[in-house]
Amino acid sequence: MTLVYILKRLAISIPVLWLLVTLTFLFLRIVPGGPFDQDKALPPHIKANLEKEFDLDKPVVWNTKKWSEGHYIQFFTETQYFYAMKKLVHGDLGPSFKYRTRRVTDIILESLPVSIELGLYAVLFAFLLGIPLGILSAHRHNTWIDHTSMFFAISGVTLPSFLIAVILIYFFSIQWGMLPAGLWDSGFEYKVLPVVALGIRPVAIIARLMRASVLDVIQADYIRTARAKGLAEFPLMMKHVVKNSLIPVITIAGPLVAAVITGSFVIEHVFAIPGMAKHFIQAVTNRDYTLVMGVTIVYAVFLIVANITVDVMYSVVDPRIKLS
Amino acid sequence: MKKSLYFILCFGLVFSTFLGCTKKHKLDNETLVFNLETEPPTVDPTKTTDTTSSLVIENLFDGLLDYDLPNLTVVPKVAKSWDISKNALVYTFHLRDDVTWTDGKKVTAYDFEYSWKRMIDPKTAAEYAYFLFDVKGAKDFNQGKLKDEKQLGIQALNDTTFQVTLAQPVAYFIHVATFPGLMPLRRDVIEKHGDKWIEPQNIVTNGPFILTKWKHDYEMILTRNENYFGPKAKLKTIRCLMVTEQSTALSLYQTKKLDIIRNLPALEIPKLKTSADYRSGNFLGSYYIGFLTTKYPLDNKYVRRAITAAIDRNQITDLLEKGDLATTSIIPKGLLGYNEKIGIPYNVEEAVSWMKKAGYKLQDVNGEKQWVDTETKKPFPTITVTFNTNEAHKTVIENLQQQWKKNLYIPVEINNQEWKVYIDSLHSARKTPDRVGFHIFRLGWVADYPDPDNFMSLFTSYSDNNNTGWANPKFDALVEKAKVVLDPKKRAKLYDQAQKILLEEDAAILPIYIYAHQSMWRDEVQGIALNPLDSWKLDEIWVQRKTAQK
Repeated sequence: MTLVYILKRLAISIPVLWLLVTLTFLFLRIVPGGPFDQDKALPPHIKANLEKEFDLDKPVVWNTKKWSEGHYIQFFTETQYFYAMKKLVHGDLGPSFKYRTRRVTDIILESLPVSIELGLYAVLFAFLLGIPLGILSAHRHNTWIDHTSMFFAISGVTLPSFLIAVILIYFFSIQWGMLPAGLWDSGFEYKVLPVVALGIRPVAIIARLMRASVLDVIQADYIRTARAKGLAEFPLMMKHVVKNSLIPVITIAGPLVAAVITGSFVIEHVFAIPGMAKHFIQAVTNRDYTLVMGVTIVYAVFLIVANITVDVMYSVVDPRIKLS
Repeated sequence: MKKSLYFILCFGLVFSTFLGCTKKHKLDNETLVFNLETEPPTVDPTKTTDTTSSLVIENLFDGLLDYDLPNLTVVPKVAKSWDISKNALVYTFHLRDDVTWTDGKKVTAYDFEYSWKRMIDPKTAAEYAYFLFDVKGAKDFNQGKLKDEKQLGIQALNDTTFQVTLAQPVAYFIHVATFPGLMPLRRDVIEKHGDKWIEPQNIVTNGPFILTKWKHDYEMILTRNENYFGPKAKLKTIRCLMVTEQSTALSLYQTKKLDIIRNLPALEIPKLKTSADYRSGNFLGSYYIGFLTTKYPLDNKYVRRAITAAIDRNQITDLLEKGDLATTSIIPKGLLGYNEKIGIPYNVEEAVSWMKKAGYKLQDVNGEKQWVDTETKKPFPTITVTFNTNEAHKTVIENLQQQWKKNLYIPVEINNQEWKVYIDSLHSARKTPDRVGFHIFRLGWVADYPDPDNFMSLFTSYSDNNNTGWANPKFDALVEKAKVVLDPKKRAKLYDQAQKILLEEDAAILPIYIYAHQSMWRDEVQGIALNPLDSWKLDEIWVQRKTAQK
């Protein structure tokens, strides 16, 4: 049943992906400025040579010249859009426009694992800290523990991550010399600051959601009954309260995980981490059409997979929810 | 209560244990950590156009000739000598026979022939192919009009003789032989590996360093080439990091994870200037303001002159605090043809008199001074200045706005655009100036090679880089003439005349300053000198750490 459900969802996402790719393709061409526009202008025929190399010498969506010549199929096929789609179907994202000697697939394959590694640490950090913090706050509702942790949670949500990163660097690297101010070498010390800086916001979100949800569940009839039956506090919290409070956390976990593991531009930029996030911004700035397409697809796929996983998780956590 | 306290304590304990694991990064006297700042788009010499790639290429490859820095004289490298024919059309380079590739094979003239031809091959689609357009047949070959390679003026006569024939004599051609894009290349390696030939496992080079590791977007490791024909690099390893964020680079420098940083965070410069590690110098680049000379009201040269004379450039360089040199000349200091007396200097009185000469009268309207056209009685319109989004440019443009308002009573609006959008609107301005929403723009130019032609030919009427719409046949003729005159004194005179037309008579552009670069390195790093080409010869650097950590 679950497998059929997953397959069905995957099938639906194919047209979604196609639409996304098409829109990305069109928007990129609409934005003024092309990949080879630069301050040192190129002689027209050199630009033409370049455009030929990257299939940009063809019309964007339809080839009216071919139509007027009576080649009606080529009206569609001799276009940038058709060439790009044909390559995509074959799993070829083409060469990057900016990094001319590198394939987009290689760029993604090299940078994505770094973002995933950083993201997974951050997600782990967020769950391991956020969930207990939320439970603790709810359990000690309106005590100093609750107030303190919620103060940090609200700060975590409101403070922009670059500020957190800069503050961390200032104290832990420059003032106290405990941790490196950046870079992504193999040592554990290189991971701490970026993970904390990236994870602090999800920690805060999760803690607040968890707190609200636990507070809700704690007042439910079945918990009162369980208490009345004399169940000890710890097993009660763990078995009955926490499990039933996880639904809202799982709901946001999908997009959160997708966002965190495809990288954070700010964190990767500030800590000089060779992840994928910078390509989301720089590829657009460079009008690197193929690279933009590549990272968009990767992000979309992550989002789709994460959402499907979340929906499946619902039914695991709460058997009342049925997959259909 | 107790439990939560335990929890906090445990967490604190675990976290501090992790911190305890911190190891110090090892720095020794054989390694230098250098900041490249960004990922080089490629180190394929033929396909590069940017400075980061060139920096790496210059340390991996050796070309025919090189510069003696900081004097900028051309000196032998792989070519031990060269002859120029009497008509200045044929350049014959005599190569050393002891230069080897990193795989042990000899570097021959055929490797140069291959790389030069690859540059102009339309299939390579090299952006800098136009550097060779003075070579016989090169332009036609690049345009696909000429198919026969043999008719090109590029030929290896034997293993050690490489000959280039020009279509017309050009004074600066010798500089082309130093160009990073024309390093020798191995045809067999490129044909075998395709685009991946530049990866460390495939690349074959002939320079002082070998590329041994390239973790894209992160670091490159350059290792000393022990079989190098010249003086070997002083350091065994150069770790080139790609830390883009300047403040992160600065933090890494301050915590001794980086030995050299180039470019400093603008806001920190006033503070860093007092440090003994701070170094600064001018290089061959000019920052200028361009006028749309075919658009009202800047189609009047007296208005342009007035606008130019109303600007005190020193205010701008003082504001930026980077050590840039205010200039009235577009040819930067350090190049033949630089003449500090050329150009319109700051002179408000003269500015006012030029506005009058342009046909405007200063009137008091509602207590504010305003220029009014004496014929049409229309007030002088609001001028719009555009720039690409960037804090430093914003500082410059806002200052110009204030000066024009204060010194010349001209109302000015400013707007900014994202880089590629900006470039696109500059290109449209050239064709349809009246349809773009600005009158004035900013740009900069950094020398491709140390010759005034590189700056002056930008503003010829047929230049693709002339966004002003300005055209003056006298100027074009002078620049063309100066190109082929070999006597430096005569050339300088021609450039004086040309600059006078461009900057004084027609005032098509307003040069603001000559760029300065800033760097920081500690005294333990030696053998570096900032130079006007912003070239980094990493093989000449060595380190003498005070407390070497082993």
